[in-house]
Amino acid sequence: MRKDVRILLAYPIEIAFWIISPLLWVVPLIFQGKALIGGLHSTAFSNLAGTGEYIPYVLIGGIFSTYMFTAIWSMGNALRNEMFYGTLEHILSSPVRPFYILVGKALYNSILSTFFVAVQISICVIFFGLTITITMIIPIVFFLLLLMIGLYGVGFIAAALTLLIKESQGILHLFEYILFLFTPIRYPVEVHPITRAVSVFIPLTYALVALRGILLGIEFDFVKNSLVLLGLDAVIVPLGIWIFMLIEKRTKTRGTLAHY
Amino acid sequence: MSEKKNIVLKGLVKLFKKKRKDEVRAVDGVSFEIKEGEIFGLLGPNGAGKTTLIKCISTLLIPDEGTATVGGHDINKDPLGVRRMIGVLTGGERSLYWKLTPVENLKYFAALYGVPRKKTAERIDYLLELMDLKGKARERVERLSSGMKQKLSIARTLIHDPPILLIDEPTLGLDPYFARFVRGFIKDELHGKLGKTVLLTTHYMDEADELCERVAFMYNGKIKALDTPVLLKQSMPQEQVLEVKCLGDLDKEMFEQLPESVSLHLGKLDGLTYVRMNTDNPESLLSRVIDTVRDRVKVLSVIVTSPTLEDVFVHLTGASLKDDYSQRQQNDRRDR
Repeated sequence: MRKDVRILLAYPIEIAFWIISPLLWVVPLIFQGKALIGGLHSTAFSNLAGTGEYIPYVLIGGIFSTYMFTAIWSMGNALRNEMFYGTLEHILSSPVRPFYILVGKALYNSILSTFFVAVQISICVIFFGLTITITMIIPIVFFLLLLMIGLYGVGFIAAALTLLIKESQGILHLFEYILFLFTPIRYPVEVHPITRAVSVFIPLTYALVALRGILLGIEFDFVKNSLVLLGLDAVIVPLGIWIFMLIEKRTKTRGTLAHY
Repeated sequence: MSEKKNIVLKGLVKLFKKKRKDEVRAVDGVSFEIKEGEIFGLLGPNGAGKTTLIKCISTLLIPDEGTATVGGHDINKDPLGVRRMIGVLTGGERSLYWKLTPVENLKYFAALYGVPRKKTAERIDYLLELMDLKGKARERVERLSSGMKQKLSIARTLIHDPPILLIDEPTLGLDPYFARFVRGFIKDELHGKLGKTVLLTTHYMDEADELCERVAFMYNGKIKALDTPVLLKQSMPQEQVLEVKCLGDLDKEMFEQLPESVSLHLGKLDGLTYVRMNTDNPESLLSRVIDTVRDRVKVLSVIVTSPTLEDVFVHLTGASLKDDYSQRQQNDRRDR
């Protein structure tokens, strides 16, 4: 973990990027909303989302989806980066399973992402009027934890696919686009039957409903969202690990482990 | 030397599938044993299968057939046990984190190998001293020279004090000064003082001659010969080599009239052509060779020497090692 922090500190622009990107991401949506409906309050939006507060709605979507994308990017790129450094084979010839290397990356990333989220929420409190109380913190951490566990499963799949096709950008962008489309990051998934149907299989959907519920006071079923997230985690994590181990073995058999 | 076998290979095969149903036997039924404390050389040109074999032994590749044990651990059944016993060193610079310092790199790899924290500090101190890198301990690796990076790679390989070292082309791309340092380090320190078991791959024949107690010639995935360098050279049917250095181009067809017993090898370097002929009677051959080439090239020198491992390799495989020969000669010249 210390190694990754030291390498990150060698690229300070990267830190600034991760902190401000979700906020910059929100601004065009605000302008879009103003251009389309002449303001930031829409009855149609309110009927679907349970809140007419569009800016906090998309800000929360932006911040917590970035939390998730950082995790997926970090794990998906973990082995890819080692390939570029030329260190992958040296790591893999040490008595540490690649699985644990990825878990290490994921833990490092969780801490880093939590720091970014804390900074972003502080900015939202100061500049965008988001209200946060001390009683919100424990349920927020609880749902973030459930979200992160599921994301590790997705991260294992992303890392496995990167090992397989030797290219991470395309896969990770594809993951992003799918999640943008089928989860309530920018809009309520109720907007279309297909988005609603697909979203039920994605942990981020339940996490965002819960986090928005906590932060914006929108009514939601705490127990149901917790249990569904737990259930999805229980499926996605073992599935991710299984896929990763399968593809790791395949690359070792085919001799493509350190290929670019 | 101990009689304990630290590396044992039995019929190792590694296939790579190419387009459609084609497949390449990169390692084709390789068997040998390496004793504890021995420096064993695996020699062959690029593409012979040496690196693939090293990757199989270091558990980075899963072989298709055969078995191998490393320090008593089976590469198929107990890969983690194998990895605890080995240190892998490859040529080239990109095996370290360039944004980290030497100390940070070594700490990271020590953690991967589970070296206790107190011992890590001692090992880092010892290895940086050994590699003469103490003055650069807190500088980013990206600011070190190629030779220093290779020294640091050696330190990284030794951080967990492994009894077995797999060294793949250790002097590839190094300037003569550092190449000499690396060779000296392998021979005097790793072998002489530390008693490590070393499996070394190289395509520099005289590097193997200098360092290895036994060598195996590898060509097209197969072991063509295995013995001590002295016995391999003695196995040549001819006892001497006539080498003619010329200015200009020659081709093998010009020498068709030479006796069949004469084994011929042409090499090029800096526009000069080297003709090497294995023969028992260089004096009688000399006038015929000079007559053959004098109209085409300018003869610069003629020497009679003993066969090298390279001559043995050419004799056994019939393969031209022109590029490797030229590169090695170039390095040797700079060394002098």
